[in-house]
Amino acid sequence: MSLAINRRQLLLGIVGAGGAVAGGLVKSAVAEEHPAHPVAPPDAVSMLYDNTICTGCRACMTACSEANGLPPDTTCALPLDAALAAGLWDIPTDLNEKTKNIIKLYREPGGTDFAYVKRQCMHCLDPACVTGCPFGALQKGEWGAVTWKSSLCIGCRYCEVACPFDVPKFEWDKWNPKIVKCEFCFDQRLKKHQEPACTAVCPTGAVIFGKRANLLAQAKQRITDAPGKYYENRVYGEYEAGGTQVLYLSNVAFEKIGLPKLGSTSLGHYATKVTSVIYKWLSGPILLGGILYAVIKRNWDRHEAESLEREKQTGLEDQL
Amino acid sequence: MNWWKKLSELLSAANHHHTTTGTKDEAGATLVNHWQRGVPVYSERVVTPTLLFFVALAAVGLTLALVRFFSPLGPFSGMNDAYAWGIWKTFNVMTLTALGSGPLAVGMAAWVFNREKLHMVMRTALVSGFLFYATGLVALGFDVGRAWNFYSIVMPWRWNAESAMLEICFCMPVYCAIFLLFENLPLVLERFYYTGTDETKVFLRLCAPGLRRIYPFMITGAYVLPLMHQSSLGGLLLLAGNKINPLWQTPCLPFLYLLAAGVCGLGFVTFLLLMSALRYSRPLDLGVLGELGNLLSVMCFVFLGVRFIDLIWRGQLRAAFAFDKMSLLLLSETTLILIPAIALRSKIVRQTPRKLLNMAVLACLGGLFFRFIPTTIAYMPARKASYFPALPELLMAVGYIALGIAAFGLAVKYFAILPGEIKDWNYMFKLVRQRHQAAQSKGETPWPASLSTR
Repeated sequence: MSLAINRRQLLLGIVGAGGAVAGGLVKSAVAEEHPAHPVAPPDAVSMLYDNTICTGCRACMTACSEANGLPPDTTCALPLDAALAAGLWDIPTDLNEKTKNIIKLYREPGGTDFAYVKRQCMHCLDPACVTGCPFGALQKGEWGAVTWKSSLCIGCRYCEVACPFDVPKFEWDKWNPKIVKCEFCFDQRLKKHQEPACTAVCPTGAVIFGKRANLLAQAKQRITDAPGKYYENRVYGEYEAGGTQVLYLSNVAFEKIGLPKLGSTSLGHYATKVTSVIYKWLSGPILLGGILYAVIKRNWDRHEAESLEREKQTGLEDQL
Repeated sequence: MNWWKKLSELLSAANHHHTTTGTKDEAGATLVNHWQRGVPVYSERVVTPTLLFFVALAAVGLTLALVRFFSPLGPFSGMNDAYAWGIWKTFNVMTLTALGSGPLAVGMAAWVFNREKLHMVMRTALVSGFLFYATGLVALGFDVGRAWNFYSIVMPWRWNAESAMLEICFCMPVYCAIFLLFENLPLVLERFYYTGTDETKVFLRLCAPGLRRIYPFMITGAYVLPLMHQSSLGGLLLLAGNKINPLWQTPCLPFLYLLAAGVCGLGFVTFLLLMSALRYSRPLDLGVLGELGNLLSVMCFVFLGVRFIDLIWRGQLRAAFAFDKMSLLLLSETTLILIPAIALRSKIVRQTPRKLLNMAVLACLGGLFFRFIPTTIAYMPARKASYFPALPELLMAVGYIALGIAAFGLAVKYFAILPGEIKDWNYMFKLVRQRHQAAQSKGETPWPASLSTR
C-alpha cells in the first residue's frame, strides 16, 4: 500500500474533512436537543399498569422497599387508631422520602366505585428533572431509566419544582439529604438484566415489564378488545408531557386517581426552545457583549476626556 | 454605528447635558447641581442604635444559618416536597436581586445609553446591588441541601448547559464576586489612597491606569452577565409548566423577569437616594432624580406593554379580568406599575421629592409582586399542600436583609458613596486635618476613625 498522496488528493481530503465537520456542526445545530414530541428509542424499557387488574395487595410496595433498602414509613399523618398512630406499621400515605412506589385507593365521593393506582417515577422520554438538574445528577441512562447520582447533586430541589408528576422527594430530615425516587431498580436489578422488583412480584399481572413499543401495543390491544372499558379509550403516558415510559390503563378518569392532565409537548422543549438558540455556543452573549463593548468603549473614551477636563477645573480626582 | 447613534439620541431627553458641575435650565438660568461628587457621611456617629438593631438581626439570622449548615433543612423551614422552594430562594434570591439590579439598569443607562447625569449615582447603585447579590448568594448557600457538591462548578464537563439553574449557579457568583466587586473597587481604593501612607499612594497611582484600561471590558461583562441570569431566574419557572397559573406561566417569563429587574433596579436606586438624602441631610439633585424617574416611567411602560401583549397573544385577557383571586393579584401588580408609569410622565411629579419617592416605592412593589407571585402564590403543585415559612426560616431571611442594610449603613460612612457637593468634600478634609493635628498633639492615632466619628 502506498502512502504517497498527491496534492489533489490532499486537497480533496481536506475539503472532505472540513465538509464533514461543518456538516456535523450544522446537523447538531439543526437537530433539536428537545423535540416537542420525543420518540422513544427502540430499547426503552417500560411498565404497564392496568388498574382493572390490580387487587391492591401492595406486594409491589414491599418488594420495592426490600429491593431499594428503604426503611419502613411509620409516620402516618392520617387520624387512624392508636396502634397506627404509635408508629408500629409501615403505612405510607403517598410517595415520600421512604417510599418510591405506592398503591393508592380512590373512592368515588358518595359512591361505592373505587379504583387503585400505582404511583412511581414515570421515566419520561424527555424528563423535566433531567433538563433542569444543574450538574446532571439526574440522568436518563441506559434503557431510558431516570437515575440519580449523589456525588453530583447539590440539593437545589429544582427537580421537585420541575417534575409535573410530583415524583422526586427530598430527605428534609437528613443532614446528608438524598433525592429519593423510583429509578426503575436500575442498579439493583435492571443492570443484572432482571425486571424491576414491583413488576417481578405482581401476582395478578396488573403491572408488567417490557419494551415500551411492545407494552404500548399490548395496551392498545386491550382497549380494542374491550371498547368502553377504559377511560377515554386511551393509554396515559403515550403522549403526556412528551410521552413517558410508564403507561397506564384506567377505568376511572386519570385526573381522579392523581395522574395530572398534561399537554403532549415535552417540558424540556417548552423551556429550552428559545434559550437553546440564544445560548448556542454562547453566540448570543458573545454577540451582545461585542455590541455593548463597542458602544461602551466609545462612551468611555469621551467620559475619560470629560473627566480629565473636570479634574483640571476642580483640582479633584475623578471618581469612577 | 449610525443606527445606534440615532437610537441613543432618540432615547436622550431634550434637557440632556454633558456636564455635571453647573447646568442651565430651559429658561437659561444657571442651576446648581447639588450632586457633584461622592462624599462619605463624615459628621455622623458610626455606631448608632439603628445600626446595632440591624447587626443584631443579622447576627441572629447568620447564627441560625450556621446551625442550619450542620442540621437537616426540615426543622429550619416550612418547605415540603410540594413547595420545595421557600422564601430563601423565592424572595431573597429571585425577588430581591431585582432590587439589586440597579448596577445593571442605571449602569446601562449611563454607559450604554449615555445618560451622563447618572454616573453620579452609580456608586449608590453598585454598593446596594453588590449587597443584594451577596446576601442573596449567602441565602442560596444555606438553602441548598448538599452544598459540598458545589465544587462541580469549576468542572465544565459536569455542567448541564441547558439548565437555567446551572446558568444561575455560575453567572450569579461570578457576577457578584468578579464584576460587581471590580466595579466597587475604585471607591475602596479611593479611601486607601486618601488615608494611606505615601507608599500606598504611589502604589495606587501605579495601579490606576491598568484599572482604567480594563474598566470598559469589565463593565461590558457586568451588563452581559446579569442580562443573562436575571432572565434565567424567570427561565427557571418555565420547567414548572402548568404548576404555575397561566396568567404568569408564559414563554416570555425570562424577558419579563429581566424587565421587572429594570423597573425594580431604577426604582430602588431612586428610593435609596431619596431615603439616604433624607437620613443624612444631603441636598437633593432633582436633575439626576428626575432623569431616574423619567427612565423608570419608560421602563414601567415597556414592562406593561410586553406583559399585556403576551396576555393577549396567549388569549388570557379574559382570565386577567375575571376578578377572581389570581386576576386580582395580576391587576394589583399591574396597577402598582401603571400608576408610576403614568404619574412620572409629569415633570411636576418627577421634580417633587415626596411624589417621586412614592412612585419609586410603588414601582418597586409592583416589580417585586411580579417576581414573587409565580414562585409561590400562583404556584399550584399537583398535590394539596401548603407552605408558610417557619420562624427560623423567616429569621434567616430577615437576617440576610438586615446584614445588607447594616453593611450599607457602614459603607456610606467609610466610603464616598452617596452623592454630595464638592464643598462638602473639601469641608470634610478640612475637618479631618484639624482632628489629625489635635490627635497628634495628644499622641493618638486618628486614622481611620477620625474620618467618621464626631
